[in-house]
Amino acid sequence: MNALRWAVLVIAVLVMNMPVIVTIVTSLKPPAEIMSNPGLIVQSPTLANYATVVTVSDRLNVWAYLTNSVIAALIGSLLPLALCLPFAFAAARRGFGRRLLLPLVVNLRALPLIIFAIPIYLMYQAVGLLDTRIGLGLVLAVVNLPLTMLILLNAIAEIPRELDEAAAMDGARTGRLIARIILPTVRPALATAFVFGFITAWNEFLFGLILTTQHAVPMTVGASFFFATGGGGVQWGVAAAVIVVASLPPVILGLAMYKQIGRAMVAGAVKG
Amino acid sequence: MMAPKTRENRLLATPLVLYLLLLLGFPSLLNVFYSLSDVTFETLRTPRLSGFGNFAAVLSDPAFWRAVWFSLRFGVLTATVEVALGLFLAVFLSPLLQARPWLLALLTLPIMIAPAMMGLMYRLVLHEFVGPLPYYLFEWFGNSPAFLSPGWVFWTVCVIEILQWTPFALLLFHLAYSSIPADVREAARMDGARGWRTFRRVELPMLMPTLALAAVIRLIDGIRVFDNIYVLVGAGPGGSTTSLPIYIYTSFFRGGSLGPALAASVLFALAAFAGLFLALRAADRRAGA
Repeated sequence: MNALRWAVLVIAVLVMNMPVIVTIVTSLKPPAEIMSNPGLIVQSPTLANYATVVTVSDRLNVWAYLTNSVIAALIGSLLPLALCLPFAFAAARRGFGRRLLLPLVVNLRALPLIIFAIPIYLMYQAVGLLDTRIGLGLVLAVVNLPLTMLILLNAIAEIPRELDEAAAMDGARTGRLIARIILPTVRPALATAFVFGFITAWNEFLFGLILTTQHAVPMTVGASFFFATGGGGVQWGVAAAVIVVASLPPVILGLAMYKQIGRAMVAGAVKG
Repeated sequence: MMAPKTRENRLLATPLVLYLLLLLGFPSLLNVFYSLSDVTFETLRTPRLSGFGNFAAVLSDPAFWRAVWFSLRFGVLTATVEVALGLFLAVFLSPLLQARPWLLALLTLPIMIAPAMMGLMYRLVLHEFVGPLPYYLFEWFGNSPAFLSPGWVFWTVCVIEILQWTPFALLLFHLAYSSIPADVREAARMDGARGWRTFRRVELPMLMPTLALAAVIRLIDGIRVFDNIYVLVGAGPGGSTTSLPIYIYTSFFRGGSLGPALAASVLFALAAFAGLFLALRAADRRAGA
């Protein structure tokens, strides 16, 4: 029976990760080999494709895409923390906003984001936020609000009330209470929400596609530029290498945190 | 005593509320307003109210209904398979995953990758000249289907979605399954239940909330699918992979009149709210019963 389990496991891992394996293998093939050998055994492995990826050309600039993604994803993951923490305190401790605001934020998860994309495009055009990292980051924060809210809500609910009651006895005001008692205690939850938010924001594509054109293009959209058939077909080795580069940050963060993320989702499911 | 606390609570919620009004509230109003107007990129500042013409245009556009049908079919099919497959893997592999938790990382790797990057990877995997999949199918079976042709493309994008997101269901189910208390299983065994019966009578009911959650999340994400399909085939041959978001996106950037795209997104929003409302009411009834 255990042999059968191992067999199923190996097949599942290979099939589900097949595109990843293919992409890594292709990224190591020299251009001449890609056409002659589509198989998975590389005859003369090389890192030349990666060298090409990091070389700036007038059309493609991977460093700019990476910088844009880092900045937009940082805004998109830190802003929800700042917005959610004070409200989550009011909601968890005083039941404030449980009727309307809390369900609204949590259920944003269920709304298709395209319905906001076009009006935000028109609004950004009017106020000059189109094709800026700040503009992109502001929108990415929307995507991260629901789970951030659930994670912080659960974390605050787990802090014993005696702790903040004692602080309140000592005359601490709410602002100080949040800063001195709540904030340090929920630090692990903040870290989980931040990492998950960063991954989600980094991997986002639709808003990057619609709201950026040149200066604030994020990595996911920039990677797709490498697949555009301009000037004699796609360079498959380079295209494969750029996908690897674009996927490394979220994969590394995700592998470090996948258990916490899963737990947060399950906890959110039960209590939300 | 009550009043100052209320004021303080409002203050605590203010940043969030302001942000929501600016980033979602105002755009939503804009959406509704423009969807009722005659407007192009050139006349954004001076739209002319035109009533429900845009809605009539969208509702009588066969391409819109094809997109609705595509999204629903895609969402239901992929969510069902992902939940079923994820449940099977989580339960069947649980002895291995309990003993060696790091195996879970290998299984959940796909969900860390951007769906857009996954779609691009398949441009390579399925490519007729440089793609390994057609290559090996030809080597082994002497033939390979044209994965992106009209007859195949729907199933191709479904399989791509399923292979990326079954791990999501699996991860949720694994955590839920391994948190079932040992004494519950022990009690079932004492009653003489074993194997399949324990699973059906004892474990499956305990997994139900997690199953429902995974199904709902995957259904929503399936209906609003965009990234992976868009980078792989765009609207597809003859528009055959036009999901609702792809329909809205392409009709917006095709230029010309913006009204229909906005009317379509208002309709999509209304449908999403209606679906959400029904789902929440069903969940409430469950909880109440």
